[in-house]
Amino acid sequence: MIQTVVNTKADIRELPAALLPLREQILADLTMLAQIPAPTGQEEQRVRYVLDRFVEAGLPEVGPDEQGNAVGLLPGARGARTIMLVAHLDTIYPRTVNHNVTVEPDRVIGPGVGDNALGAAAISIIPLCLAHLGIQLESHLGLLGTVRSLGRSNHEGLRFFLDHPPRPIDCGIVVEGLQLGRANYLSIGKIRGDIVCDVCPEKLRSDGSQNALVVLNQVINRILSIAIPTRPYTKIRLAKMHAGLSYDSEPDHAELGFEVVSHSDEMIEQIRRSMNDAVAEMAAQHGVDAKLDCFFRRETGGIAFSHPLVKAILAVMAQLDIEPDLGRGPSELPELIGRRIPAVTLGISWGEKNQENEPDYVLVDPILTGLAQLLGVILEIDRGACDEP
Amino acid sequence: MNLDQWLTKRTFHHSAFWDRRWLAEEKARQGLTISLCLPAYNEEKTIGKEIVVYKSELHDRYGVVDEIAVIDSGSTDRTREIAASFGAQVYLAAEHLPQYEVHRGKGENLWKALYLLRGDIIVYVDADITNTHPRFVYGLLGPLIQDPEVHYVKAFYDRPLASSQGIRPTGGGRVTEILIRPLFSLFYPELTGIIQPLSGEYAGRRSILEQIPFPVGYGVETAMLIDIYGQLGLNGFAQTDLDVRVHRNQETPALGRMAFGVLRTFFARLTRDQKAQLHQELPTIMRQFTVAEGDFDHVEHVIEEVERPPMIEIPEYRQKYHPTPEPMVEV
Repeated sequence: MIQTVVNTKADIRELPAALLPLREQILADLTMLAQIPAPTGQEEQRVRYVLDRFVEAGLPEVGPDEQGNAVGLLPGARGARTIMLVAHLDTIYPRTVNHNVTVEPDRVIGPGVGDNALGAAAISIIPLCLAHLGIQLESHLGLLGTVRSLGRSNHEGLRFFLDHPPRPIDCGIVVEGLQLGRANYLSIGKIRGDIVCDVCPEKLRSDGSQNALVVLNQVINRILSIAIPTRPYTKIRLAKMHAGLSYDSEPDHAELGFEVVSHSDEMIEQIRRSMNDAVAEMAAQHGVDAKLDCFFRRETGGIAFSHPLVKAILAVMAQLDIEPDLGRGPSELPELIGRRIPAVTLGISWGEKNQENEPDYVLVDPILTGLAQLLGVILEIDRGACDEP
Repeated sequence: MNLDQWLTKRTFHHSAFWDRRWLAEEKARQGLTISLCLPAYNEEKTIGKEIVVYKSELHDRYGVVDEIAVIDSGSTDRTREIAASFGAQVYLAAEHLPQYEVHRGKGENLWKALYLLRGDIIVYVDADITNTHPRFVYGLLGPLIQDPEVHYVKAFYDRPLASSQGIRPTGGGRVTEILIRPLFSLFYPELTGIIQPLSGEYAGRRSILEQIPFPVGYGVETAMLIDIYGQLGLNGFAQTDLDVRVHRNQETPALGRMAFGVLRTFFARLTRDQKAQLHQELPTIMRQFTVAEGDFDHVEHVIEEVERPPMIEIPEYRQKYHPTPEPMVEV
């Protein structure tokens, strides 16, 4: 017999309170996951943690796939469709960073707590939440903690899983720790890359000394002169730079890391060509070697606003008094949508991440609302909200 | 069981007890209750995390631990508020058994925990662990649940130091290596088998803990080992490797004061056990120097190392845990 306790709108509104007995367990998962260093390519311990949680929850299909992703399946009563929850397990923080987490009554503080220890904690605890609420889904619920998501890895773990799915996936939810209210059904276009400038050592130069930093500066000036439209939204981010070793020697090598985001793939391509021209012009100088390496590309895409999944999400958010922040956002969404799997990205709580002088943190109180939202959306999909074209 | 046999038989790794479901079932089968005590003083940075992790992993999910309590020495930060917000029982040590004077120190909190908590087994875990993990508790409980002959379990671990630059790989254990281990080697050789005698994490059965005195300050760990050894011998002990425990580094002068307190406790036991004789009472003043702008300042620290009597001698305790049956009245 299928026991479903959440049937009405009133029930959705009561979910945060119903989840309250699990609060410390959610915070414990968040804390212990965040304290495991997981730079991209070194996620094994986090994968193990998530798999252990799946086993403890009694999932009958649990294990890493060939790429190292953490994969679990909570079978549905009928299994007519498969809903996939996805959270990336890697972080931008290297092992050398102190991953100590502090838990305060109103917030949890520590490197990567919001991006994406909280997302990983959410998919780890969802089976327990369903059991606690006495809910058995009609649909299969797939749970996926992905590896090799960030930076040059470019969602390698997720792409592998989607290219070799154990069963067809009907609908996807990408779970990010931050921010509660996001409902990204469109993905923003993006390229990321490095511009690398090398100059010949001084003694080999016939035309006097060159300086890689100066060459790179000329490239930057050219990039800054590229015309950026107000519409479609487009932005060039010059994000990181590396050059030089000491005060008394001019650098032979300089690197610039950048990304270009836009609502238009055409605009991204246009900017990429302009940047390439700027780099090529510098490289044409004697004794200068300059290269542009675009290692990451994501095209714009998404599902329509009129898609029933978007409507269902808005209805769930309204019941939980969550202010929706619709539209485009960075995440793994295009990997799913590109494979014709309707998908959205949802956030679990509010907080900050990647601030220069402030530690990452997530707020405690909204977490239960965020999980209630996730459960509400799963239930809507289970009832067929994603079935219509 | 000689020392080598004991080391082989009674030294565990926490992973031997990872199965918390089994621990909970076996605990229930034996009819045991288990209390987790976190003695604390100004630990707002770590107490929330410890409560959340231990409550989730040992109480809510598996029911291995029946109660989690913070016994506080009078923190001036948010320690008590944070602990209570995550569901721990919180006690201010000075508010309980006040008729027996008020002292402040970790040992005082551990002693009062015997009165305040109801467990047949009490696990003591310091509140300043930064790499909190449930193994710090189940690793200590395992030998007690597994073997009825074990009455007291001591932790040992690697001790990297947390600093502003991250984690340094080695450190700590200085008082152990230059003070405790030489003293044990001289006077209690079997206790040299305890790898980290000053570790702040241990678990014991109420039946033995209520029988021993508790120094309120630095000497409590040393006293526990010597006094339990006096009652049960090495056979009553086990120890568990808890892997890595990250903690704050202590400056050498602080360790000096700690060593002073430990020495007072130690000498008290040497004379009690007639292993040495002192011809005068030991002073309570520890003298240290500080250097500031080229000048030496002479600083005196009063370290009394008051000892609480065995809890079994406290009438309120006996009434709570060993009530005498009402005598039969003949009519």
